[in-house]
Amino acid sequence: MRKKFSRFLYRHRGVEGILFILPFLGLWAVFLAWPVVYGVYISLFDWNPIRGSEFVGLANYIELFHEARFWNAFANTFKFAGMVIPLVMGLGLLFALMVWGWGRVRRGTTFVQASLFFPYLLTVSIVAIVWRWLLDRDFGLIQHTLNSLFPSAPVFLTEPAWALPAVAVATAWWLAGYRMVVLQAGLEEIPRELFESAEIDGALPRHKFIHIVLPLLKPSLLFALVLTIISAFRTFGQVLMMTEGGPGRASEVLALYLYWVGFDYFQVGKAAAAGVVLLFLILIMTLLGVRLLGLKSELQ
Amino acid sequence: MRWIKRYLPYVIMYGVAFLWIIPILWMANTAFKPTPDIFSIPPKWIPSHLTLEHVRRLFSEWPFLRWLLNSLIVATSVTFGSLIVSTLAAFSFSRLHWRGRDALFMVLLVFMLLPWQVNVIPLFFTMTKFGFLNTYQGVALPMMAMPIGVFLLRQFFINIPRDLEDAARIDGCSSLGVLFRVIIPVSKPVFAAFGVYMFNFAWNEFFWSMICLRKAQMVTLPVGLKLLQGAFEIDYGLILAGAFAASLPSMLVFLFLKRQIIRGFTLAGSGTKG
Repeated sequence: MRKKFSRFLYRHRGVEGILFILPFLGLWAVFLAWPVVYGVYISLFDWNPIRGSEFVGLANYIELFHEARFWNAFANTFKFAGMVIPLVMGLGLLFALMVWGWGRVRRGTTFVQASLFFPYLLTVSIVAIVWRWLLDRDFGLIQHTLNSLFPSAPVFLTEPAWALPAVAVATAWWLAGYRMVVLQAGLEEIPRELFESAEIDGALPRHKFIHIVLPLLKPSLLFALVLTIISAFRTFGQVLMMTEGGPGRASEVLALYLYWVGFDYFQVGKAAAAGVVLLFLILIMTLLGVRLLGLKSELQ
Repeated sequence: MRWIKRYLPYVIMYGVAFLWIIPILWMANTAFKPTPDIFSIPPKWIPSHLTLEHVRRLFSEWPFLRWLLNSLIVATSVTFGSLIVSTLAAFSFSRLHWRGRDALFMVLLVFMLLPWQVNVIPLFFTMTKFGFLNTYQGVALPMMAMPIGVFLLRQFFINIPRDLEDAARIDGCSSLGVLFRVIIPVSKPVFAAFGVYMFNFAWNEFFWSMICLRKAQMVTLPVGLKLLQGAFEIDYGLILAGAFAASLPSMLVFLFLKRQIIRGFTLAGSGTKG
């Protein structure tokens, strides 16, 4: 019987392939893929499970696009991404170069690498709590230190123009370490001989950086960039717990807007529409980021 | 001059590393100092005395241990669940041939880019229908189906030499046999890396957990901290004690396994990069 079954499987290897994938596919289809499709469907309705839902076509989207609050969240998302992506990538690259370049000659860099990486292992609520406390307007360690060094320093979490930058700094503290680790692994893969022969040819450090490090680091940079773009556009927890979108709505980003519209105001159709907008935004931005680095083939 | 050149990199590196952990030191510091010291200007690094008052209140007034338990249950089941389903799927994607395989894989790739935020409303309704709100399975099941695991493992499985598999097949191994006798034994490093990655992901997940878990007894640590902060905006002693206690497990594990953990994340990173 067993033998017969395995012979059957061998003859129909396609069936077998699908059997193996079924457990994953089931979970994925029900809990990840279907909700995306269902979300598009919901976004076309004035959704109300109690009173009954009504098909409204694109009305939710039109309402969304006529709402100043939506555009505010939209702009804030881009502002935040514009700050946090360079910050995270820049710090990550800088740290990677530092630990890689100096760590090779000297020992004891494990401590350095570990301290720079550790924040990444913390959950977003811890990051938000700690930074909210560090930036507390009266008793915060960083806020106080800045105030005593520069009397005109802004009060980060309470001044509308400075709330988002503060969240971006906290986010960079949280995420830069993982980028460092990824980029450092990329750096380790560069053959040493390249640098040696470049040195013989009299290359300066910046030449080595531009002509050896950057091109060969591209795959790692791309991976880090895609990660960073996605986390920038879906930012939620830090903003919710550090500023609650405030002061006013100065730091309300799309994910937070979506959450409040859906789970506080119960405008489900509209929130689903915002989700669809966010979906396209993330897809477009990621593809753009990949294109920007000219690395379409790397994703395969 | 030479002396400076030799030691300057050290000074810079350790300086940056020290700056980077100040927030963590300050968190620990706040968790154990008496309230008047917390609200002192200028901020006090050295407290007048150490106190366990905040920690005591955390454990007596809040179900902190229950949150810890919830987190452990969710993270462990997500890790093992996703390891099992992703291994099977990755095996099929890399080693078996069937029609539509590569097309389906491309679809998974695209979905890998999408975060919770885009489908949370419909997911919430789906879970309501199943009656899974406020349950472990409700919070854990969607996390088990993350395409990233399939992607990472497939990348590794593809590079296992074909000869090994052929030899096993000639000896009469079925596909399941190949998976268990050939693929799994040589894939331990990647399983470890993926396990570390998934555990950390589930342990820290905030957005979906906050939406799915709405009872104070059921929430995981990240959401519990949100409750703590929401209840007393300015009770910094208690809130920071909570944050400190919640980060303690990660800290201890990291202290003992930092090389392995960093290597795991590196592998997860370079594996997905392909």
